[in-house]
Order: sequence, then structure tokens, then C-alpha cells
Amino acid sequence: MVAYLIRRLLATIGLLFVVSVITFSIFFLVPKWAGATPDSMATRYVGRTATADVVHQTAVRLGFTDPFYVQYADWAKGLVAGRDFDMGTSIEHCPAPCLGYSFITAQPVLPDLLDRFTVTFSLAIGAAVIWVTAGISIGVLSALKRGSLVDRFSMVIALAGVSMPIFWTGLIALSFFSYRWGITAVGGAYTPFTQNPALWAWDLMLPWVTLALLFSAQYARLTRAGMLETMNEDYIRTARAKGLRERTVVTKHGLRGALTPLLTIFGLDFGLLIGGAVLTESAFGLNGLGKYAVDGIRANDLPKILGVTLFAALFVVIANLIVDLLYAVVDPRVRTK
Amino acid sequence: MSTPLEVEPSGAGAATDHDLVAPGQAIEGRSLGQIAWRRLKRDKIAMAGGCFVILLVLVAIFAPVIVKYLGSPPDQFHQDLIDTKGGTLLPLGKFGGMSWDHLMGLEPQNGRDIFSRVVYGARISLLIAILATAVSVFIGTTLGAVAGFLGGVTDAIISRLMDMFLAFPLLVFALALAGVFPDEAFGLSGNGLRISLLVFIIGFFNWPYIGRIIRGQTLSLRHREFVDAARSLGAKRGYIMFTELLPNLVAPILVYSTLLIPTNILFEAALSFLGVGIRPPTPSWGGMLSDAVVYYTVPHFMLWPGLAIFATVLAFNLFGDGLRDALDPRAR
Amino acid sequence: MRTKRTKAFVVIAAVAAMGLSACGGGGGSSNSNNGSGGDQFNAALESVHNASDKKGGILKLGQAGDWADSVDPGNTYYGYSWDFLRTYARTLVMFRSAPGKKGNELVPDLATDLGKSSDGGKTWTYTLRDGVKFEDGTPITSKDVKYAVERSFDKGVLALGPAYFDAMLNWPAGYKGPYKQPDANTDSAISTPDDKTIVFHLKQPFAGFDYVAQLPQTAPVPQDKDTGAKYKEHVVSSGPYMWKTYSPGKKYELERNPNWDPKTDPNRKALPDGYEITLNMNPDDVDNQVIAGDIDADIQGTGVQPAALSRVLSDPSLKSRADNPTLSRLWYTNMIPTVKPFDNIDCRKAVEYGMDRSSYQNAYGGPFAGGDLATTLLPPTIPGHQKFDLFPAGEKGDVDAAKKALAACGQPNGFDATIAYRAERPKEKATAEAFQQALKRIGINLQTKPLPEATYSSDTCGDPNYRTQRKIGMCVYGWGADWNDGFGFLSQLVDSRTMRPGAANMNVDIPEVDQMLDKAMVEQDTATRNSDWGAIDKRVMEDALIYPGVYAKAVLVRPKNATNVFVNDAFGMYDYLAMGVQQ
Repeated sequence: MVAYLIRRLLATIGLLFVVSVITFSIFFLVPKWAGATPDSMATRYVGRTATADVVHQTAVRLGFTDPFYVQYADWAKGLVAGRDFDMGTSIEHCPAPCLGYSFITAQPVLPDLLDRFTVTFSLAIGAAVIWVTAGISIGVLSALKRGSLVDRFSMVIALAGVSMPIFWTGLIALSFFSYRWGITAVGGAYTPFTQNPALWAWDLMLPWVTLALLFSAQYARLTRAGMLETMNEDYIRTARAKGLRERTVVTKHGLRGALTPLLTIFGLDFGLLIGGAVLTESAFGLNGLGKYAVDGIRANDLPKILGVTLFAALFVVIANLIVDLLYAVVDPRVRTK
Repeated sequence: MSTPLEVEPSGAGAATDHDLVAPGQAIEGRSLGQIAWRRLKRDKIAMAGGCFVILLVLVAIFAPVIVKYLGSPPDQFHQDLIDTKGGTLLPLGKFGGMSWDHLMGLEPQNGRDIFSRVVYGARISLLIAILATAVSVFIGTTLGAVAGFLGGVTDAIISRLMDMFLAFPLLVFALALAGVFPDEAFGLSGNGLRISLLVFIIGFFNWPYIGRIIRGQTLSLRHREFVDAARSLGAKRGYIMFTELLPNLVAPILVYSTLLIPTNILFEAALSFLGVGIRPPTPSWGGMLSDAVVYYTVPHFMLWPGLAIFATVLAFNLFGDGLRDALDPRAR
Repeated sequence: MRTKRTKAFVVIAAVAAMGLSACGGGGGSSNSNNGSGGDQFNAALESVHNASDKKGGILKLGQAGDWADSVDPGNTYYGYSWDFLRTYARTLVMFRSAPGKKGNELVPDLATDLGKSSDGGKTWTYTLRDGVKFEDGTPITSKDVKYAVERSFDKGVLALGPAYFDAMLNWPAGYKGPYKQPDANTDSAISTPDDKTIVFHLKQPFAGFDYVAQLPQTAPVPQDKDTGAKYKEHVVSSGPYMWKTYSPGKKYELERNPNWDPKTDPNRKALPDGYEITLNMNPDDVDNQVIAGDIDADIQGTGVQPAALSRVLSDPSLKSRADNPTLSRLWYTNMIPTVKPFDNIDCRKAVEYGMDRSSYQNAYGGPFAGGDLATTLLPPTIPGHQKFDLFPAGEKGDVDAAKKALAACGQPNGFDATIAYRAERPKEKATAEAFQQALKRIGINLQTKPLPEATYSSDTCGDPNYRTQRKIGMCVYGWGADWNDGFGFLSQLVDSRTMRPGAANMNVDIPEVDQMLDKAMVEQDTATRNSDWGAIDKRVMEDALIYPGVYAKAVLVRPKNATNVFVNDAFGMYDYLAMGVQQ
């Protein structure tokens, strides 16, 4: 078990390394290859009256004049051991894990990220509750009444749900429910859970439902398929033969077999989602990690983007780890191995 | 499969449901293709999807002709039909200026014909989605087949690579790459470069989906009797791969390409929506939606491009599902 | 200044622009209803709406997105930031807090009087008022003002502010600012003979120095409290309000500063008990909350979003709550004479005649949100503006005149050309597309080319090599001066000696205009000088190098629950310093 966890940990570090190197390359190597110089890159981060000298100072301050690997090493050092930044009058120490300061606003990135994370997590957790409940119930129902009108109807609806771009459903929902009829909170509204749980849920209702619509459609399809497969398994026949009630057979045995593979997918989905629901947050104007990333990309604010991608990759890894550990609980076959 | 973030949830398309079609009877003396075609023909929903796809391709090809008779040039302004006096810049008339001349109404501000832009938008969407799918299929098939066939270290490396791609916040990467990319490179510029870039980004980030499936298929084929037979006859690896394995991979490649196209359409729309897609004034569905955001009081403006994306993606998904059921030997 | 201010300061004038503002410009299209201040369209343009002297309440402001640059007075270059910082920072001189054109007048703030010049305008002396204090009770001295200007010199730490002081004052050679050279003697640039007196020493005479002395960079900063780039986290107040909450990206709160003495400050009424700014709101939500009265104003003051615009303009009761000020900003398009066939004046004239001017206006949002059709460079709000139209072509353009010009140019069938715009700006995109549409009528086929905003004026459109090599014949652009006056507006735009990568002037190189500028700068008589600006404007237009699009305007929604509401022309938006809360 310990060896397993160590191996996973090493794999995680490797992954984070690759993610950050790729992000760095996109931001430094691509423009360089297109002919950008350290100074021309720095023009983005100075005032409108900057002289060539000021631009050059900025380029030096942001480290653009250093070779690629030095810049990366500086950044990585900050992550592991912290880093010092010159604030003019004083040297500011940014303790590990230091994700640096925004090129534009000179705000430290990590507190921003943690702050934005609560929004994205709120969005993801509420939506997940809805989509898992709705998706699985519809899937089970469809499977049990296979071929019926209910089944065919819900599967076509499910396919339709998967086919809708989330940013479109979001915009249409906002346009009607919030602005035209005024029955849901307006775009961008967010109240922290700790401040007022009821308002928190109210503000996020529309994004939750929109996001859940997309995912529950998919989970319904997967549940149905899984159920159909499991219900044909021998052990279900055995259970039935034992004279168990159909309800027990379905919930205790059928569902468990069908849901196990779903767990992996859920882990991946949820992990990716809490790393930033870019489109949902953009459509609803929610200040989560995804919007932070998009804003960072628009402003060419590398430290922000590095922070988000690193966070996002980390969440996927953690989610997967949790799923793998849970697997042992849910699936008896794994436990015996 | 798993595609980036919320573009489509992981598992979409590659779902293991084999539904919607009655079990095909085993009919002897027909080729697999014929059997599949018979099955497919009986699946009315899939056929409807297929017909819509064909219609859409025709629309894209004949866009100039269609627009000539049913609309006006997609970049032409109609500011006489816009409320410039009152300053709201919304189309005059009801329902966003819908009329026989402008079937889907007009865009606010410039008064461009939405119908024409949606029709022309089909070109960009389909072109990018299909080319990107080709890229994905090429990379995915090559790497997937190699991994499945060679096994061992190669397989481990490629599989890890695929896992890693699936764990990446790909949309953010794609955004970043499309955002910082220069306007001129490889001797290309303008929309030619933009389309190539989008094709590459979308195709490159989606290959593991095909790769996984092909790897799995190759793995299961590798130890089948006919491969063993060829091997025992002293066939070279390359020969086995191209002559024995590849023909057996055609069906899954076909199915999953069909299912990847709608994902790529959504991906392209998402990139355009976030402002890193095709350059204006070339119309694209995602770009139209992004322009529509500020006009949420006029939902018609966001309705049509959104509906176009939705209908196209749904049609491809329906057809792809049907195709899989028809081709998949395990179809029940 | 204005919202997203454009380019650089370069040349220093010989003679001033003083008093220009007093002469007033054209009133633009402000069909205002003076006096009453009732709920009427444009009611707060020229007069105070809902006047009151009642104190109390918290004034609530909202902003879409994060604060544009910084709340540090030494590190900010946005109009709304300059408008708002007057609540917590006092500068030597300030624009009068008064409606309409009166807002263009300079009045002393920390200083007892406007600057006294000697040495023919090379030396400027200000005396501080008695009894002015920082929020902690420490008296403000001339050394605090000097230090504030010095620190703004270090653009490596405070990169975002304007650079007028850096360029104008006689700094010691190789000066790097007080952070890197704390012991440097800067008396050659700024001397402080005593705690009340501050003297600025210029390299060249400049009679308009009071305009420079009103810049936020003269707001005093106590050296021992300065934390460099982090000073914005706690700016030490010299005004009636001080910082209570600085929560970046979320919320700013200001409360009353007990050490501010109203007797030292004739310009500030300080009606509210505090200010509260909510950041990172959804843009549409800002508009909706202003309309509903949940917040008092959109602090950025650039006008409502398209959705709210259509609501406001189509609903009479909402329209009566709107103001539509004209800004001192011109949206225009450059034609580049080094790119064929724009080297031929007749081909440029073909564009002047052939463009559909109303589509330019629509690209920017129509007559209310966009602006008025422009035929000159100087906007009507700027003193010296003259009304003329050298290429009369109506609102839709004159196709026949354009074709004649094309024939004269030797291109009777039109030609191919490229028009560039800033990729991040949808309005400029629409402008480029509008040109494309309109010029197609006369056979000019334009290719649109989006270029990144960050390097637009330095590396691409503004770089002669780039645009000539890539054959970029037209560049969509805009310009607003840092303060309302003819010199400030024109010199950056049309003086060929300012032309270099990064400058606002991309294409005007007319020796005659340079001479006219030099003459106008030394002209002592205000009326003559103002007519000189108009003449320069006309001379530049004769060469058809610039296609003037629109004089910018904005649609603002007046606060529902605020008193003393008016638009200050110096900022082109509501005066946040004057507002009070309805009791």
C-alpha cells in the first residue's frame, strides 16, 4: 500500500512537471519562435507611456531576458522553496508553495486561486449531486423498462442533452430565467456558503442545473448500458434464483455492478471540473478558476495560467486517486486482489 | 473517451450502450458491410441523423448558391433595417427582424443576415471538425495500433501518454496555444493559418480517444488465430500490421470518427466562443454566439447559431450511434 | 486622459495651454435642460442633479472585472481612477468639481494657489496650505509631495502612470528614482526650500505646467509608509476618506478620515460617510443594479452594455435617467502614405468620400453609445474645435465623388488594400468590416487584419517597417488627450517630430503643420491660439491622411439614490467626489 502511494506520488510530480513545462513552452517558446524579443513581450506589462528603457527594466524584472530553463527553474524554485520579489522599497518573500505574482496586477497568485477555487468547487459539487442523482435514476429506469416508450424517449433526450453546447444552454437559460422572467439569480451572482447557505444555493441554481443537464444525460446513458450488461450476468441470475426480491436484486446487486465503472468516469469528470469549468463560468460570468484562466490567457498573464493548469492537473490526479481507493470499497473483486 | 472539460463529458460517444436497434439476425452469405447496411437502414433515428448530416454537407458546399437565393452575402450590412435613430441598434421589426428576406433575422449593430451567416458557418464548422478528426484518427490509429501490437515498453509509454492527455486541462492549453499563436507562420497567414492551427490543436488534443479504442482492439486481435497463423508462417511485423490487423480496424475507426466529429464541432465552437477561433468577418457558429452574449435581451441572436450547433452535433451523434450498433459485432 | 488612454507624451511645449479650458468648446450635442435637475435625459450634463448638502450614507459603486491598474496615485493612468482617487488623495492642483465645462477649470487643492512661474515658464512654485494632514495626523510637507513625484520616476516599480514629470523636469543625469538611489540629490528637478514650498525646475519652459501639477502623482506619499509596489494595499490618505478595506478583486471600502480638515479644502463637500466598491461584477449585472438602484454607479463610467443600452433607450422612464456626455476622444482611421496606393492623395480622398460614415458610427454603438459623426480631428469638447467638412459625402458616403477621386488617382477600378485593427476590440473589428463593406461599392477590396492590442502602436501598425512591408494601408485607431486642451490633443497626433514606434502619430508628416504647431505654442492670445488649433486641424484634414469616424459619447445611467450628481467634463463621467447619498 505504501509503495503504491509512493509510486502514485512520483507519477503525480512527474505529471505536474510536464504540465508546467508545456505551459511555459507555450508562453515563451511559441512567441519567441514567432520573433518576439524579451522587450517586445514586456510591452504588455507596462503603462502606455513607457519608454524603451522602462520596457527593458520590466523585461529584466519579469525575467524575460533569462534563458528559458532559468526562468523555469526560478518559478519551480518558488514552488518548492519560496521566492523573493523586489517590491521597490523592500524584498517581499513569497513562501512555498509560491506561484508567483501576476504580471499585470502584481497580486500573489496562490490566494487568488484558493479564492476562485471555492467558487468552482461550489459549482461542481452542486451540479454533481444533481447529475449523479438524476442521471442514475433515469438510467436505471430506462434499463428496467428497456425498449419501452419511456426508455426510448429518455435516451433520445439524453443524446440531445449531450449534444448541446453548455455555453449556449447557459446563455439561453440566463436570458430567459434570469433576465426575462427574473426567477433565478443573475449571471455572476455568488454568495459564499459560509456567509449564507441558502443564498449560495439560490445563486448557483441555474449554473448547477445547466451543467447537470449535460452530465446527467451522459450518466443516464452510461448507467443504462451498465445496468443492461450487469443484469445479464450470472450472479444476478443466481440472486434471482435464490428468491430475492427483484428490488433487492436491482439495488443491491445490479446497481453495484453497473455503477463501479461509472465511478472512474465520475472521478475524471469531477477532477476536470473543479480544475476550472471554463465554459460554464464564462457563460454565467462566475469568477471561478476557469474564468481566471481565460482572463489570464487574454491578458497574457503567465503566472495565473501556470497556477490554474497546475491546480487543475493536481485535482484530476487527486480525484483519480480517491476513485482508485474507493474502488476497493465498492468492488469486492478488487479487494481480494 | 474523455474530452476537454465541459465540452462533452467523458464517456460520451464511446458509451458502451448498444441500443436503439433490434438485434440483427445473423444472415449468412452476406459481407459484414452488407449486414451493417441492412441493420443501419432499419434504424430510423440513425438514418434521420445521417440524412441531416448529408443535407448539412450539401448546405456547406452550396452555401454561396443558397445564400444567393435565400439570403444576402454574409458580410453585407443592412443598417437601414437597424434602429440607428433610437440608438438601440437592434433590428427593426418583430423577432429580431425576421422576414422573408432575412429568414432568421438580423444581427444587431451591423444588420448582417443571420441565416446567411449560419449557412456559411456550417462550412467552417464542418471543415475544421472533419479535418481535425482526420488528424486525431491518424495519430490515434498509428499510436494505438503500435501500442497494442508491440506491447511492452512501447505500450506502457503510449498508454501513459494517453492517460496524461486525459488528465490535462486541455481546453486551457488549447486556449493558450490558440491565443499566443502568431498571425503568420509556415508561410501561411490569415484564415488559412487559423484553420490549420485550429485543426491541429483540436485534432492533436483529441487523439487519445481514438488511440485508446484502437489499442484495445489491436490488443484483442493480436492473439486471434489468423494473426498467430500469419506469424507462424513467418510474416513480418509490418505485414501483419497492415494486412492482417488494419482491415479489421476499419469498422471501429469509422464508428469512432463519426462520433468524434460532433465532439470536434463542439470544441471548435467553444474556442470560437472564447475568442480564439477563426478571424472575423468569416462567420462561425461559436463566434456568432460570443457576439450574442451582450445581447441577452434579444435571444433570437443566440438562438440560431446555437441551434445550428445543437442540430449538427445531435445528427452526428445519432448517426454515429446507429453506425456503431450496425457495425459492432457485439450488438445485441 | 479618459478611460483607456492612448499614447505617449513626448514633446514639451514652449508655451502653455493655460486658460484654454476657460474659453470653452462647442457644447457638442448636449441638448441639456439646465436648471431644474429633474429626471430628464441629459439632466446632469450641465447642471447639478438633485443638489443637496446632507451628509451620511455609503455611496456604492460597482465595477465589471478587476480594477484596471492600481489605486496607488503614483501608478495609475485611467480616467475613472483619477476621478475616484480625489476622495483619498489631494494633489497640488485639481480640476474643479463642477458640472460640464466648469470641470475643465484648474483650481488649487493642496496648494494655496495655482503655480507661479518664473524664468519664462521654466520654474514653477507652489505653496502648501496650512493645516493639511495625513490620515495619521502627521502634517503634509512639501517633501512628501516631492517624494511622491520622485517615486513615480521609477517605472521599474511603478510602471503604469504617465511620464510627464520624468520627461519635463531637470533630473540629474542617470537618475533612477528613490528606491534605487535613496540618497540622490534631486534639487535640480524639485527643490523644497521649506516645508510649505515646492519648486519644480523644468528643462524647457512650459506655461501649461498646472495641468501637470494636477496629475495624481503629486498626491503626497510619506516616505516611511511607502512600500513600493505594495503601497496600493494601504495608500495613506490625504483627502476626506481613507482606506478601510483593500480586498483586491473583491471589495474596496473607504471611511471618513478624521484628520482631514474641511477648512483646508474648499473643493470637497465629503457628503457620504464612506464609499464601497464591489469589484469583479458581471458587466450586465452592474447595469441592472444601477438601474434598480442597488448600487449607485458603474465606476468605470464608459457607458452601459448593449443589453442595458437597448433597455435604457427604448424605455422613456429609463431614458429620463440617462446622461449622454460627449467625451474628448476621437475614433478614427489612419491611412498610411508609405503604402501604395495611399501615397496618392486622390486614392485617400476616395476613401474619405466612399466610406459610409453612419456605419462607422454604428460600429461604435450608434449615435448615443457610439458618438457623433466626426468631420474634424478636434472633438467639440476641446477648445479650438471648428466645425468644417472638407469631404462632404453625407451620412452614407458619396460614391460618385469617390469614383472620380479613384479615377484621378489612376485606379478607376479600385484596388486591393489591407486594413488593420486591434484584435481585442470588437468595435474596431466592426469598423474594419464597415470599411470593407462600404469601399466595396467603389471597387476597393479590403482585407481585414486583426493585430494584438499590446503591440499595435509599437510593433505593428505603429512601426513604419512592419506596415510598409506587410502593406497595411489603413489602421483603425482612437485618441484622447490626457486633459482637455488643443495642444494636448493635437501635438501627439499630428506633430511629425513625435512620430516613432509607440507614438500616437502614425502617418502625419507635414512640415507646414509642424511650423503651425510651433507658432501656436508660443501664441499668447488665447483666442488666436484657439483659432490656430482649428487651422491646424483643417490643414491636416486637407491631406486626407486621417478618416475621422466619431466623436465618442457614452450612455450613463444616473444613480437612483444619490444626490449632487453631475458629469464632470474633465473626466467625461460622473464626478464621484461630489456625490452624496439620498437621506
